[in-house]
Amino acid sequence: MNELWFDIMGAIVTVIVAFVVGITYMGLSRKITARVQNRKGPPFYQNFIDALKLASKTSAIHHGFMQHVGPAFMMITSIMSVLIIPVLRGNAWFVNLNFHGDLIFILYIMVFGPLGMALGAGQTGNPNSAIGVTRGLSQMVGFEIPWVMALVALMMQYHTTSIVDLMNVQIQSGMWLMFSSPFAFIAAVMAMLGMFRYSPFDIVGAPQELASGPMSENGGKYLFTLMSSGSIFAFAKLTLYVDLFMGGAGNLVELVIKTFALYLIPMLYGVTSPRYRTEQSIRWFWGWPTFFGFLAIIYAVVF
Amino acid sequence: MINDKNSQKIVDFISNWARKHSIWVLGYGTGCGAIEIPPTMTSRYDAERLGIRGAATPRQADVLLITGYLTTKTLKRVIRVYEQMQDPKYVVGFGSCTINGGMYYDSYNTINVLDKYLPVDVYINGCMPRPEAVLSGFGKLQQLIGEGKANGATKYKENLEWYRANQKKVIPNWVMPEYNW
Amino acid sequence: MNYIILVVFLGGALLTFFAGKINNVLQDILFLASILVPASLFFAYVHAGNIFNLTLGGIHLSLGINAMSWLFALIVLGLGSMAAFYSVSFMKGKERRGYFYFNFILTIMAMTGILMSRDLVSFFIFWEIMTWSSYLMTVYNGKDVQTVGIKYFVFSAIGAYAMLMAIVVIHSINGSFMIEDLVRSFPEMPVNMQILIPVLLLTGFGVKAAIMPLHVWAPGAYSNAPMAYTSIFSGALSKMGIYGMVIVMVSLLSYVPEGYWFREVIAWMGGITAVIGTLWAIKQDDAKKLLAYSSIAQLGYIIVGIGIGTPLAMMAGLFLAVVHALFKGTLFLAVGAIERQTGTSNFREVTGLIRKMPWTFVASLISIISLAGIPPMGGFVGKWMLYESLLTSNHYLLVIVIFFSSTAAFLYCYKFLFGFFLGQEEKEWANVKEAPVLMVVPMLILSFFSFLLGTYPGIILKPIDAGMQYLGYGITQNHLWQTSVIFNTWGNQVVLQPLLYSIIAIFLFFLIFLTIKSFKQTRYVTTKDISSSGEVPKEHENLTFSVDFMQPFMRAVEPVMRRQIDKYYTGLANGLEALFDFMRKIYTGNGQTYAIYVIVFVVILLLFKDILF
Repeated sequence: MNELWFDIMGAIVTVIVAFVVGITYMGLSRKITARVQNRKGPPFYQNFIDALKLASKTSAIHHGFMQHVGPAFMMITSIMSVLIIPVLRGNAWFVNLNFHGDLIFILYIMVFGPLGMALGAGQTGNPNSAIGVTRGLSQMVGFEIPWVMALVALMMQYHTTSIVDLMNVQIQSGMWLMFSSPFAFIAAVMAMLGMFRYSPFDIVGAPQELASGPMSENGGKYLFTLMSSGSIFAFAKLTLYVDLFMGGAGNLVELVIKTFALYLIPMLYGVTSPRYRTEQSIRWFWGWPTFFGFLAIIYAVVF
Repeated sequence: MINDKNSQKIVDFISNWARKHSIWVLGYGTGCGAIEIPPTMTSRYDAERLGIRGAATPRQADVLLITGYLTTKTLKRVIRVYEQMQDPKYVVGFGSCTINGGMYYDSYNTINVLDKYLPVDVYINGCMPRPEAVLSGFGKLQQLIGEGKANGATKYKENLEWYRANQKKVIPNWVMPEYNW
Repeated sequence: MNYIILVVFLGGALLTFFAGKINNVLQDILFLASILVPASLFFAYVHAGNIFNLTLGGIHLSLGINAMSWLFALIVLGLGSMAAFYSVSFMKGKERRGYFYFNFILTIMAMTGILMSRDLVSFFIFWEIMTWSSYLMTVYNGKDVQTVGIKYFVFSAIGAYAMLMAIVVIHSINGSFMIEDLVRSFPEMPVNMQILIPVLLLTGFGVKAAIMPLHVWAPGAYSNAPMAYTSIFSGALSKMGIYGMVIVMVSLLSYVPEGYWFREVIAWMGGITAVIGTLWAIKQDDAKKLLAYSSIAQLGYIIVGIGIGTPLAMMAGLFLAVVHALFKGTLFLAVGAIERQTGTSNFREVTGLIRKMPWTFVASLISIISLAGIPPMGGFVGKWMLYESLLTSNHYLLVIVIFFSSTAAFLYCYKFLFGFFLGQEEKEWANVKEAPVLMVVPMLILSFFSFLLGTYPGIILKPIDAGMQYLGYGITQNHLWQTSVIFNTWGNQVVLQPLLYSIIAIFLFFLIFLTIKSFKQTRYVTTKDISSSGEVPKEHENLTFSVDFMQPFMRAVEPVMRRQIDKYYTGLANGLEALFDFMRKIYTGNGQTYAIYVIVFVVILLLFKDILF
């Protein structure tokens, strides 16, 4: 019984850390964007204030039950993925419920959140929401291909479908997978650009034409749930990348440095790019990233 | 515990502090004053450093910014947008036109005093008010929010009939859903 | 017992047909009885090894059941009885009830007969009964008989002739119609026969399983039949093709060296079927067509699993077959309910039914989540096993093909849910009521089972394992009631259960404590009350986004969609027609022309007599 309580405490700690780190990264991205645009920019904790404010706003209305369930689905997905992805190596405070085959599980659970959010957005009846959702789902089909190719290459090469096994491989060989399977890393990072929906791929929100798309009817607490689950989710994705390609992390400082280094890639690419149209975005993902995915698979088969 | 007076005070303080430093503005460009918003937001004056940022839809917004004159046609839409915003919400009247009609004081199709139709929390005068003036106006709003005095929305709810009567006086075909939150 | 069940079915079908002349309620009761009584008799008394022999005109017919066919009988009779309950309510007030009931019972009987057949003759007889009764149901509406009916008929005929030819060839080699004899003698046959017989049989089964070049009949036939029937058409009848394929792929082909190529080709055909089905499903605006294409795609996954043929892959394929019957059965029933209540099944017309038909929505949501393969539902377990098996058997490109198809499936999943249930609540559909209890309950039961299989896959893995052991696989996993542990070829242990438990716990926590609490604090406003630039949408203004729903995606994949297999078949048909037209010009029907032919022939004969003779 004691162990169970310890696990639950650990789960809460994991989620809180994920929330804090994720939301700080979002704030930092605003700050860095501002600096690139030669502005002073908001403080790095600005997103905390925003989240707090959104939580303190009233949300008096709903358009139906799914509008509540949608953000809840998103939250559940984020929490599940952050619990399944190993956060730190061998740290008792960070629970991981990982098991064999969790890489495939993660692939599926990561698309469940957006689908739940899409259902919530659909219930509101705003046409902009539905348009945003169709764009988002289409783009997801785009970037999942190189992402899956990279993962398949890793799974083929090391004969495992477990994240922990892949981390152990890196510890034993003393070499990060981003160096020992470079093509898989390139394909996965290119897919990451789509996952984070920074600028060339921010076709879902698209505030100029879709009025923030799926979120357009969600204010107050709905938006708070979506925002906080989004930041947990971002942290989970970054941790997954660190686990897969950068050998995981032994302590929190190492984790933060590695994840932030990865996070800079989509962010800086986004700051300097205009936006794609949806089909351009999909075709972009089926172009070079998929080519690198093929190379990764060939590399995995040959070596 | 929440009902306890002191803890309510603490909660109010924290939420007011958060509201103060995170102002999402619905830039509903109603008049020519909207041209002053881009310089306020971009590199030179950078309103984002104060936590002021654009919101895409009324559901997400805290502040409704009335930039300049309001024609009676636009007024109807503005009222609708205001009523769709979630509490707490504030209105900033921007430019002389919102105070007394400005240069359109004798126009047949604009309203002169915005406060008769929507509860204005802060006025920014000038024609145009420069970005400095806009930022100072938002500073005033932040101060009011921090003190918990920016209660235009409560005023609107309490005096809804008076506001409705005024609104219906200038808007001829009033086909609108009831104010419902 | 075996033949009694079939006789009860047949007698019930006839009685039900004629009872309609007396009383409608009597007909309903007879219909239910003639499905449920044989079904319960089957599960109570029929066991493996229970063989009934019959000699008809010198041909030895043999009926019996084995562990493999018991699994498929579970699908057929389980889904069949659910669909039967639904049909009673579905057919209320419709015309030609006797016709519907008769063919319904006949299909169930034929499928049970196929599963019981131990020799090829009775297999073929029941196969034809199944084809004919399903053909009659396809043209039930009297709509599109020319296009849809003919297409289904032609493809079924191609399959049937191929199968008949295979049976004749087998008999000429073996001198016996028994399947056991075929299995025993197959490895010793000459190589060309080892290729010819499986190709012919797979053509026959592939038509019913809607495998890639033979799938063109399916969208029309599935969408044209009444929905109560389509749920068993897609859920159970297509599984007969799968059943046949399992026999061919495992019992015959795994003992010969050519089997490797068959497995690869069939698996790739399954993969391509999955992609094509998915892409076309996204394009459809009619829910029936969408689900029909989606069935083709899902059958593609099953065929991939059976084609690969490793123990894990076979288990994945069979598990997906069961789960597909559950969720696709439910979804077709849901479309039937919506069509009955609103009169249309087009996404462009119906929107915003979620508050009017909440239970249909719940059943659809669970089934869609299962279809998309998202964790707590049964679909995920099957897909997971499929990926594990594909990865461990080095089919790395096939993994990507399958994954592409299953990710793209989210698009039509969302389209289905959004098109019917979400979106604007239009005034036109304000008075729609929830479907009758007898229609809702079967849907909920089926969707509950697809939830249960995600949580306790052991329930169905046990019979699957028994069936696979019958086919000659070793014991593949260690299945308890709660946990299922599977070993893949790399030696990794895949544990299916404990995690799902914690996930479901978190799920329930969030759903119950947070959502319902905040739901009660807020108030409902209509879907017209949205932020649309301050405008107030009028009651009659339609703001629903349903036309060209997945347009950006369709634009991206447009080059692929331009090539339709249907067009090639049409081209082939046109070419043949031109050929026959030309031949008809020879036979003009005019006596003088024929006289000229004779004269010309004689002249040629005379001119070239030196060369010819």
